[in-house]
Amino acid sequence: MLEIRGLVKRFGDLTAVDRLDLTVPPGEIFGFLGPNGAGKTTTVKLITGLLKPDAGSVRVAGFDVATRTLEAKRCVGLVPDEPFVYPKLTGAEYLRFIGELYGVPLAEQRKRIPELLAMFELSSWGGELLESYSHGMRQKLVIAGILLHGPRLLVLDEPMVGLDPKSARMVKEILLTLARRGTSILMCTHILEIAEKLCGRIGIMISGRLTAVGTIEELRRQARGESGRGLEDLFLSLTGGHEYSSLLRHL
Amino acid sequence: MLRLLFWRKTRTLLNTLSHLTAYERVRNAAFALAGLALLAGLYLLFYKMLAYLAKVELIGQLLLWKLTAIVMLTTFMMVAISSLLTSLTTFYYSFDLKFLMNAPVRVRDIFLDKAAESLFFCSWMIALVQFPYILALVRVNHYGPDVFVAFLALMAPFLALAAAAGMAFTLALLYLFPSSRTRDVVWVLSSLSLTVVYGLVRFAQPERLIRPDALEVVADYLSYLQAPTAPYAPSWWLTAGIQAAAAGHYAVLARQAALLYGVTAAVYAGLVALAGKVYFTGYSGAQEGRLRRTPVAVEPFPEARLGLRGELAALFWKERRTFFRDVKHWSQILLVMGLVFVYLFSIQRLPLDNADLKSLVSFLNVGAAGFVIAALGLRFTYPAISLEGRAWWVLRSSPVTTGAIMRQKLLFSVIPMTGIALVLGLATNHLLGADRFSAWLSALSLLLITWAVAAMGIGFGALFPMFNVENIHQIESSLGGFVYMASSLGYIAATIMILAWPMQMHFQERFGRAHAWRWEIVASCAVFFVVLNAAAFVVPWTLGKRTLERYEQ
Repeated sequence: MLEIRGLVKRFGDLTAVDRLDLTVPPGEIFGFLGPNGAGKTTTVKLITGLLKPDAGSVRVAGFDVATRTLEAKRCVGLVPDEPFVYPKLTGAEYLRFIGELYGVPLAEQRKRIPELLAMFELSSWGGELLESYSHGMRQKLVIAGILLHGPRLLVLDEPMVGLDPKSARMVKEILLTLARRGTSILMCTHILEIAEKLCGRIGIMISGRLTAVGTIEELRRQARGESGRGLEDLFLSLTGGHEYSSLLRHL
Repeated sequence: MLRLLFWRKTRTLLNTLSHLTAYERVRNAAFALAGLALLAGLYLLFYKMLAYLAKVELIGQLLLWKLTAIVMLTTFMMVAISSLLTSLTTFYYSFDLKFLMNAPVRVRDIFLDKAAESLFFCSWMIALVQFPYILALVRVNHYGPDVFVAFLALMAPFLALAAAAGMAFTLALLYLFPSSRTRDVVWVLSSLSLTVVYGLVRFAQPERLIRPDALEVVADYLSYLQAPTAPYAPSWWLTAGIQAAAAGHYAVLARQAALLYGVTAAVYAGLVALAGKVYFTGYSGAQEGRLRRTPVAVEPFPEARLGLRGELAALFWKERRTFFRDVKHWSQILLVMGLVFVYLFSIQRLPLDNADLKSLVSFLNVGAAGFVIAALGLRFTYPAISLEGRAWWVLRSSPVTTGAIMRQKLLFSVIPMTGIALVLGLATNHLLGADRFSAWLSALSLLLITWAVAAMGIGFGALFPMFNVENIHQIESSLGGFVYMASSLGYIAATIMILAWPMQMHFQERFGRAHAWRWEIVASCAVFFVVLNAAAFVVPWTLGKRTLERYEQ
């Protein structure tokens, strides 16, 4: 479903994504971890066509994002790290707009929009302008938007940030259900517990390079750790994060 | 603390400049040169006009200074109105306000920081146009550089005072009407009042005062010219200061300077004191959204009835909804309506008693109406792309081409602009009673100008996108906005120059000259006209589309 080959993105002297190769098959939830500034969000932007790569290719459902842009975009649903939406549209209007942009038939929109608003407990807010929504409500609405057009690849950048525990739990269930139905999911997150519970495979990105990829067990072996260590220890071990203890002296 | 706040602004500016890509540097330099060319053109225009007035016997100098006083008064009013529109967003909706209000910074310091921002955005472009005027005044009268230095020294408090009016109104409005609904109503009513006052001033026909035949005796006219224009307004203090510098009366100059600086200091001290008491209350009220309880209904877009389908209908619908729900646009629409009425009234009052003159004015109206259209383009069309703001990712990641987005923005803009152009063109020709050739030529060329200016607006808007600004006035008053305005005015001037040839032949025919029409000239004009319009429609559009496709958010 998602094939990334030799992807490179530079910003001046900084190589934000460095020769990235990755494949996410249908039905897999792939977790993308890494410290701040590792290049995860840049990768997300390259996959969704928000940025142009300097080298390499991204193919979604067989369509090259650079040359078959519209076909590729039709197959992708993006939840960005900051859910900026149109402040002067209502929640229902936002979904209506998204539905039309992605070619969802009107009859289906009539059925699905109230359902999605109800699912995310936004029914009473559906007629309110988005400027009055909280961060979490906007996040839920953006997720509702991608569910409306049912993409084959979901790309989520910190999807749980701002969600209340109930909504976060529901989003996790939704992601698992979608994956079972064959949707591929690439998710950037800093919440290691979510990655551990949801993701089939996890990739750790450091300085633009994918330094480790595999299931939790495979990562443990890579980190030469004994079984039973949590993902947090593994992450810190792979990213050199244990050095933090020496930094605490500055506190 | 204020120094620290200003330091961050300076660093932001320097960092922005030092991080420009090579392409951005070349682009900005090229268009800055175009802007300088416009200023040079304005200088030549002002120089010719002032040189002509200076030559009028006996009263030449009086006319020059009267005009200068009127120019300064107009500048004062324009900056004050611009500040009114800028202050609301700058003071209450800036991105960094949450951070600043949360930080241990005094509210008064935040106010001054935002006041400086507001002052800059509402005045820099208007102030820039003053330079060629004053330079021309200095050159025509062979004044020394001290006059220009005096102008520079007095301009700063003058602009600050003009901007203070908008700031004071905004502070009071947000404090007195914290409820967003009431505030919106008051905002629109204020705009309506401003439009009505503008109309009333115009309908009082002030031009009668500068026509000697409207006054009973010559002495009245002379005393009018000698009298200060709005003596209690800062514009007069500035004019009197420059006049004193020109005459070498440095004591008077010092007095005017002391007056301007003193009043500015007093006004800002008052504003800072007021801000300490009311700014936070207003800010707190501005954070509260309004609940509408609009019913959730999933209906076909009304745009479908206009023949728009799919994504274009959706984009147009979204544009319409978001545009008309923003109350700040309503005030602009009211002002535009007032402007159109006043424009037509002014045309009707023109003292033209000759059919040839009426036809000539009908042709020249293309330039004046074109200027109005370009100003509307700067306000409504040019910012359209940038107004997508930080929600740009929604369109960028969706299966819609950049071209489709630009076409929809153009359509949304070109429909009302065509309506206004038709009113300005057809109604003017009707009021003037222009002959058929002049009427058709002016109406059709105005229509074409409107479409070209709208296409340039979207093209330049895409060439200089600003998705991270908080204030529409930052978009308008950016380098790109200036370049757009300069290019539009250049295009309109070139159109008039090309069409002046067939117009001249038409007049020669009217005056009875045989074989007035020289078809080789007509053919040349047609070629120039096609090339000019092709460039206006295609070049900014293509460059803009490419830039937008490569834009990295």
